[in-house]
Amino acid sequence: MTRFSVFSLAKNALSGHRLWERTWRDAAPRDAYDVVIVGGGGHGLATAYYLAKEHGVRSVAVVEKGWIGGGNAGRNTTIIRSNYELEGNAAFYEWSMKLWEGLEQDLNYNAMVSQRGVLNLCHSDAQRDAYARRGNAMRMNGVDAELLDKEGVRRLAPFLDFDQARFPIQGGMYQPRGGTARHDAVVWGYARGASDRGVDIIQNCEVTGFLRGADGRITGVETTRGVIAAGRVGVAVAGNSSRVAAMVGLRLPIESHVLQAFVSEALKPVLPGVITFGAGHFYVSQSDKGGLVFGGDIDGYNSYASRGNLPVVEDVCEGGMAIMPMIGRARLLRSWGGICDMTMDGSPIIDRAPVDGLYLNAGWCYGGFKATPASGWCFAHLIATDQPHETATRYRLDRFATGHLIDEKGQGAQPNLH
Amino acid sequence: MAEPLQITARGKVALATVMARKGVDAAAIGASLGLTPPTGPLTAQDETMTLIGVGPGAWLAISEYGQAGWAAMLGGKLAGIASVSDQTSGYIVLRVSGEGAGDLLQKGAFIDLDRTAFGVGAAATTVIAHIGVILWKVDDAPTFDVALFRSFADSFRDWIAASAPGLAAPSSPVR
Amino acid sequence: MRLPCPFCGDRDASEFVYRGDAAPVRPATSEGFYDYVYLRENPAGPMREHWYHAQGCRNWLVVTRDTRTHEVFGAVLARGAAQ
Repeated sequence: MTRFSVFSLAKNALSGHRLWERTWRDAAPRDAYDVVIVGGGGHGLATAYYLAKEHGVRSVAVVEKGWIGGGNAGRNTTIIRSNYELEGNAAFYEWSMKLWEGLEQDLNYNAMVSQRGVLNLCHSDAQRDAYARRGNAMRMNGVDAELLDKEGVRRLAPFLDFDQARFPIQGGMYQPRGGTARHDAVVWGYARGASDRGVDIIQNCEVTGFLRGADGRITGVETTRGVIAAGRVGVAVAGNSSRVAAMVGLRLPIESHVLQAFVSEALKPVLPGVITFGAGHFYVSQSDKGGLVFGGDIDGYNSYASRGNLPVVEDVCEGGMAIMPMIGRARLLRSWGGICDMTMDGSPIIDRAPVDGLYLNAGWCYGGFKATPASGWCFAHLIATDQPHETATRYRLDRFATGHLIDEKGQGAQPNLH
Repeated sequence: MAEPLQITARGKVALATVMARKGVDAAAIGASLGLTPPTGPLTAQDETMTLIGVGPGAWLAISEYGQAGWAAMLGGKLAGIASVSDQTSGYIVLRVSGEGAGDLLQKGAFIDLDRTAFGVGAAATTVIAHIGVILWKVDDAPTFDVALFRSFADSFRDWIAASAPGLAAPSSPVR
Repeated sequence: MRLPCPFCGDRDASEFVYRGDAAPVRPATSEGFYDYVYLRENPAGPMREHWYHAQGCRNWLVVTRDTRTHEVFGAVLARGAAQ
């Protein structure tokens, strides 16, 4: 595999960039692997990469029903952050942030990781208290956090509507190390690293069922491209986790919901980083291409449709106009929907399934992108060692039965249940 | 020629919600009231009151000459078969009438207010400009009555001002 | 997305509050409560679900809707609807 460097760039420039080799191999399925990962999104590919690199498991296949990165990896808003308060989340998301910080060197691939800062605005005393508490918890956990007053926010983002009558800005919580990354490049970088270490990436290969041994143990998968035997099977198909789990008769504490996102036409740089409106459902950042990338809350009903409805479009745009009136001058380029695995407490699941040989990586709600590196790292650890990684011990499937919920947001699929 | 658009607050009306008890049908309510209530989103009226269908077994009752105690009197008539709650101070009723009345309301409503879809006697419980309303068509002038919670009256008036530029503010006091 | 309220007629989905799958039945005892509260079929396809017409007739409906396409096949009042 060609290493990307200034020298390889110069060399390929001389041949008009026609001789770059493929970034990763588009493999055909073999009969058997030690590990089969279902789902060729960021999480699945990262899992395969770390299985090969950190655990020496080289006989690995990633099977993807469409094309890699064609699901939620291409439908998010590319934000990375580790501003979590609760034990169980804090160490995991900070580990993810640390992996983001070293990702490009590790992969030798430009994932456009940009630590441009994440600013959460507050609009009431109670909200400021909550941010102070969360920020303190973060700092106790070794995560960067700053509590800003109104002037501090103004220095970062003078264009916000500070004195609107309904939700005047009183300050904010700032995580300077947060930011954005290029979603496609993350997928391609992990695919390249995994492929280079012998992982087979198999596209257009949909899992239709599981092979079971006499003792019930999972022994492989049935796919649209034939049967593939496997020592262990990891499922990383957030959005469709319930459908795959149903193939082994499992019901999960998950509902699939649609989350919409939007991008404007490309504009000159105007936003310093990620900004979230604390009193409405609105958050925004600006891509390196210049588009304002923004979104809000889930539509609020079960959906596998990858598109939402107009009331939420209106709600998001109203939120944008309320906090950042200049956004009204930008023309919307497109909008889309991604399917979220909404767990009942809003936190993910990385655990052995109650079926031998099967491992679950699911329930990422609307926060899966930022978790990509640590999710892959911890899932690979779990599959390789049969033990949870130390930062992911709380993401158990049985926590809903035992009462050990991780209520970071205080709600899951529906605000009235948990 | 149609009258010019006019928006007024209906004063001196008494309002009450009537909710039938389990198993009680509209005919039984009608027998006690002397006016059979509609079983759909429609209005029924006689010289004493108008009944507007707002849900299965639920009506908004409105009386032009209502006085304090009207709802209690209604409750007395329906004792044992329906629950009656006085809403006189809860709702305000705006009358939107004249040329373009339907067009104005249509700007804020999700439902079709065209005369072919929403004729005289039709009623709907819905939202206009995110404000919950009970809406019914009185005549073909056209005249619409819009009942909304009194605390939303200012917001609703702001919406009218933004949606019908040039129109004077409601001519009688809205609160 | 518009939902056909049996009383009010076709209405925009924003008039409704969503409650989810209509299938789970509240158990009489604590046995089965975990299933009832947490586990979901979460089907991709037609699903019977509870919607509350908050900005309309204020009744609970059982709506049959395809979660893959948002196509709505019909709605009945939840009161008296078969579970």
